[in-house]
Amino acid sequence: MASSLFFYFLAVVTTVGAIAVVAFPSPLYSVLALILTFLGLAGLYLSLHAQFVAIVQVIIYASAIMMLFLFVVMLINLGREEKRELRLPGQKMLGAIAGLAVFSVLLKVFLSTSLMTGKKGSFPLERVSELGNTQVIGNLLLTDYVLPFQAMGVLLFVGIVGAVVLARRRSR
Amino acid sequence: MAPLEHYLILSAILFSLGIVGVVVRRNAIVVILCIELMMNGANLAFVAYGRFLDSMAGQMIVFFVMAVAAAEAAIGLAIVVLIYRNRESTDLDEINLLKL
Repeated sequence: MASSLFFYFLAVVTTVGAIAVVAFPSPLYSVLALILTFLGLAGLYLSLHAQFVAIVQVIIYASAIMMLFLFVVMLINLGREEKRELRLPGQKMLGAIAGLAVFSVLLKVFLSTSLMTGKKGSFPLERVSELGNTQVIGNLLLTDYVLPFQAMGVLLFVGIVGAVVLARRRSR
Repeated sequence: MAPLEHYLILSAILFSLGIVGVVVRRNAIVVILCIELMMNGANLAFVAYGRFLDSMAGQMIVFFVMAVAAAEAAIGLAIVVLIYRNRESTDLDEINLLKL
C-alpha cells in the first residue's frame, strides 16, 4: 500500500512538472520544471526496482543534461516568449488535438491485453536482487549488448565533435 | 505496488505532453526540452514493461536512449547557439528560409 501511495505521489509530481514545462512562458522556468519531472521519474524507477537507472537518471539527466540547457538559456539570455500573433492560426488548438490523438492511440496500444501476456524474461526480481542490479547491468552491457554499447560510444564521440565544430566561432 | 497499466498511462501522459509542447511552443530550446520529455515517457514504459515481464532489456534500452538524448541535446543546443548568433532570436517562426 505504501509503495502504491509513493507511486501516485510521484505520478502527480511528474505530471505537474511536465505540464509546467509546456506552460511556463520563460525557458528558464521550463528547464527547472523539467528537472522536477526527471527527479520524479527517478523515484518511479526506484519503485520499479531499477536502482541503477534511477541513479543514472539523477546524475546524467537531471544534472548533466539539464545543466547544459540551463547554461545555454543563460548564455543567450532569452526573455519570455513574446505575446504576438502565432504564424499558424489555431496553433494551440492543433497542439491539443495532436496531444489527445497521440494519447488515445498510446492508451489503446498499452491497454490492449496481448502485450501483457508476452514471454517472461530470465531475470525475475529475486534473481536480480540476489546478483545485484548494477552487476547484472554491467554484465549484460559487456556480453549481450556489447555491440550497441560500442555504437553508443561512437555516437557520443561524434556528438562531442559535432557540437564543438558547430558552436566554434569562425575565424575570418 | 501500482499495476503496470498505471505506469503506462503515466508514460502516455508524459509523451503526449511532449507532443503538445513541440507543436505549441515557438522557442527552440523549449521544443528540445519537450523532445527530452517524450524520450523520458518512452523510457518509463521500457522500464515498467521490463519489470513486469522479468526482463532486463527494458533497463538496457534506457541507457542507449539516454546516450542518444545526451548527443541530441549537445548537437541541438549547438545549433540553437548558432541560430541565435545569426538571428539574435531562437523563435522557430522566424526560421523559415527553406520555405517557398
